[in-house]
Amino acid sequence: MSLIFVNGKLVGTTDDGEKLEKTLIDERRKGEIKPFVNLGYRKRSDSLVINTDGGRLTRALIVVKDGKPMVTDDDIALLEEGHMTWEDLVAKGKIEYLDAEEEENAYVALNEKDLTKDHTHLEITPLSVFGTQASMLPFVNHSNAHRNVTAVKSVQQGVGTYASNHMVRMDNDAIVAVDQQRPIVTTKIYSNKAFNSHPLGQNIVVAVVSYLGYNMDDAIIINKSSVERGLFRSFFFRPYKVEEAKYTGGQSDLITVPDKDVTGYRSEDAYKHLDDDGIAYPGAIVENGDVLIGRVSPPRFVSSVDKFRLGIQKRVESSIEVRMGEGGVVENVFVTSSGEGNKYVSLKVRQDRRVEIGDKFGSRSGQKGVVGMLLPQEDMPFTLSGIVPDLLFSPFSIPSRMAMAYLFELLSGKVGALGGRYIDGTSFTGENIDDIQKELHAHGFRENGVEIMYNGITGEAMQARIFVGNMMYVRLKHFVANKIQYRARGPIQLLTRQPTEGKSKSGGLRLGEMEKDCFVAYGAALALKERFDSDKITLPVCSKCGLIAVYNAKKRIGHCMLDGDDAPIKLVEVSASFKILLDELKSVGLYPKILVGKKV
Amino acid sequence: MEIPKKYVEKFNKIYGEKANLNELDKIYSRSLITPGEAVGVVAAQSIGEASTQMTLRTKHAAGLTSIHITSGLPRLIEIFDAKKEISTPVMSIKLKPETAKSKQKVLDFANAIIEIKVEDIVTVYNINMKRKAIEFTLDRDTMHDYGLTARDVGSKLKEMNVEFSLEGDTINVKSKTSDTLKKLMKLRNKISATTISGVPGIKRSVLNTSPDGTFWISTAGSNLDIILKKEEVDVKETTCNDIMETAKVLGIEAARNLIIEESNNTLQSVGLTVDLRHIFLIADAMCSEGEVRGIGRYGISGETESVFARAAFETPFKHLVDASLNHETDSFNFVADNIISNQVVPVGTGTVKLVYRHGRENKEETGGENKE
Repeated sequence: MSLIFVNGKLVGTTDDGEKLEKTLIDERRKGEIKPFVNLGYRKRSDSLVINTDGGRLTRALIVVKDGKPMVTDDDIALLEEGHMTWEDLVAKGKIEYLDAEEEENAYVALNEKDLTKDHTHLEITPLSVFGTQASMLPFVNHSNAHRNVTAVKSVQQGVGTYASNHMVRMDNDAIVAVDQQRPIVTTKIYSNKAFNSHPLGQNIVVAVVSYLGYNMDDAIIINKSSVERGLFRSFFFRPYKVEEAKYTGGQSDLITVPDKDVTGYRSEDAYKHLDDDGIAYPGAIVENGDVLIGRVSPPRFVSSVDKFRLGIQKRVESSIEVRMGEGGVVENVFVTSSGEGNKYVSLKVRQDRRVEIGDKFGSRSGQKGVVGMLLPQEDMPFTLSGIVPDLLFSPFSIPSRMAMAYLFELLSGKVGALGGRYIDGTSFTGENIDDIQKELHAHGFRENGVEIMYNGITGEAMQARIFVGNMMYVRLKHFVANKIQYRARGPIQLLTRQPTEGKSKSGGLRLGEMEKDCFVAYGAALALKERFDSDKITLPVCSKCGLIAVYNAKKRIGHCMLDGDDAPIKLVEVSASFKILLDELKSVGLYPKILVGKKV
Repeated sequence: MEIPKKYVEKFNKIYGEKANLNELDKIYSRSLITPGEAVGVVAAQSIGEASTQMTLRTKHAAGLTSIHITSGLPRLIEIFDAKKEISTPVMSIKLKPETAKSKQKVLDFANAIIEIKVEDIVTVYNINMKRKAIEFTLDRDTMHDYGLTARDVGSKLKEMNVEFSLEGDTINVKSKTSDTLKKLMKLRNKISATTISGVPGIKRSVLNTSPDGTFWISTAGSNLDIILKKEEVDVKETTCNDIMETAKVLGIEAARNLIIEESNNTLQSVGLTVDLRHIFLIADAMCSEGEVRGIGRYGISGETESVFARAAFETPFKHLVDASLNHETDSFNFVADNIISNQVVPVGTGTVKLVYRHGRENKEETGGENKE
């Protein structure tokens, strides 16, 4: 007797679960049961598990009967002519969807020629072992699985056209490439996913060569002249959004060019881009510190004096200025109203992001790296025919990673560029690399793709033959311009007087406890003191009672709260955080007495 | 510079009496630590850095019949924390030559020291409320293996001052005072935990062969005090890995040596080499007060003279309040307190004070150097 579970609940029993399984599957193939109902008979627990609920992943497979696929050549002909659709195949039970449960009892052949009588299903294409994104990368079946995962992650971060309507969108950190190209080495899935109309990356000439040491350890050298011609140029958009908020008491913000009597008024120069409506005009070239949207707000704390001066409300300047290091051109301005009916202004600043040292690039085979050097064209190596590569890739990145897709794409790209055609790099079913090599030979090049190259600086021929070709590279969204941070002097925290932390507050990098230990271990006591001098204060201490006193340095007059004006006051240099510690001790009722100039 | 006599003697022993002492002088002065060197921090960093690699590299020896010993980072923590009860106490017992040569004698000794409790040789124990007695059924086979008889059990019970009778394999125990079930159960637990033979604490013993053909014993569980008093035992060679026990039985110097040996072995067993002198320093610090103190809130760090150094380590408020109640003074002679108040740390370049007076004397306001 077999147990029957429907969606995990025991609903009944049957004499022969295996027989029922077969009957139900037959019914489903006939179309009596919906195609997404899946079932599996578990021999060990003698139970039939039926799943009908949502949220299961299913996979389409061709049904096999007696070692023959149900989808025949006639069906394929009908499909191509358009007389038959996918739905028809599913309805006829020639293709069915399996979930994880039913897959347990299936015996799936990868290729049609592998089929035996025992097989129950056939893969529609061997490519379906990869996901959508991996199947868009060329020659993935030749690469290490880990490399393919990395490659997919890399391409996800690629800069392309993320949305066709990006001009009117207000996304944060939106980056759009200026120029994109269809890859020469493509896959069948590429066109299916409309990726030909939304590509990312450019086909560039790559030489696998170690050059000047600037491309060691996954760094790359990029041709500076190519960059000046617009290679991998992209735009960075930063939206600024402001709402004219209303506060209690009938007060509200006002988006306008602030009056000069407003508290916190900046220089007149800062407001130079603002139109009469208080918003910078589209096309304005803005820099650090420039105001984009002028705004005045009611004071946050209404003091008692202000209450008597009714009518003449003093307002506070609260304009929106350009973020640090994100100057550019005002792209567009939208003025609408928010959900609460307030005036809502959003504005977008466009920044030109040219390639610079430290920007990240990746190929479509998991070989990613940062720019180590931008080299002028005249210093780059060149081939016999005068080809100057756009990018120099380190050969030491290849053997240990075994990403064969990189080499295959480089070689195929060369053939594609020479022959003026696209190369099919689809896994398993794409073009054969041996044939591509022969084609390269027919074009008059070495079969393995290597060429003689000359050092661009000395003009000497390099001893080794350099593997050079054409392949697609993707600019990844990690720009140095967004990440660079430095500080010599800057803002401090109010309480501790120590430097702020974090990039947005232009903070410093903390010299932490373990770093402190290194100073101590090295014996650099005075250097350590200087490093911690950031919150240094001079404390007047009454040497009689040991408490912090008051001192006027100009007049050299001291006053102690306990001992009065005659108290002997000494100045002690300590950190502000130590003073806070002493204050906190006092607040809990402990008396920290400072003994100055006495030996204990 | 005067070189300690023992080094001169050793030098002469190796290179002969006429050897040039200048060479030794060079080596000696090179080996000396500069005044003000932060030896403690360097020692802590040297061991600390090594132990970060250790967590990832713990070896598992499954299915081995030898005695398991805690190793790696857990053992290192155990040593430096001066744990009262370590997780795997073991001993290596060396015997005097006349015993060590005979395998049978060593085997007998190894079996004799295993602690056997009443519960180990009893198959069933019942409480008979009708007769108000406890019935123990003895396991003859196990008793035979250990060379015990019912009489041995009887003599132990006699010491415990209880009434008992022997009926075949069963011992009936009666007590004058115990009449309720609760009291009987208490008595039963007490009797089951009684040691009949062997040394308390020794759970298992394994016979080992030395390269020279003699035999020695390693045990799981330790009892240094009793083992060392046994006649057959070679007191000089017998060791135990329990630091606190060693300190109690053999004294603080033995404990110091054990700390050095154990921590060095633990580090070396995972393939890390830390200079011995770092470990010397830590062992010295742990043993300097005549008793083994751990490195932690209840050990060295908790007993620092400086109030702020203690407060900076752990439970700051407790230390500050206690210091306040005891009218303690922080003399700012340590690292942590000087860091807190942003003064020059008395380490390295901070150990010396160099004052350059140009022209007239410094004004009072600019002072504040000798703050305490």
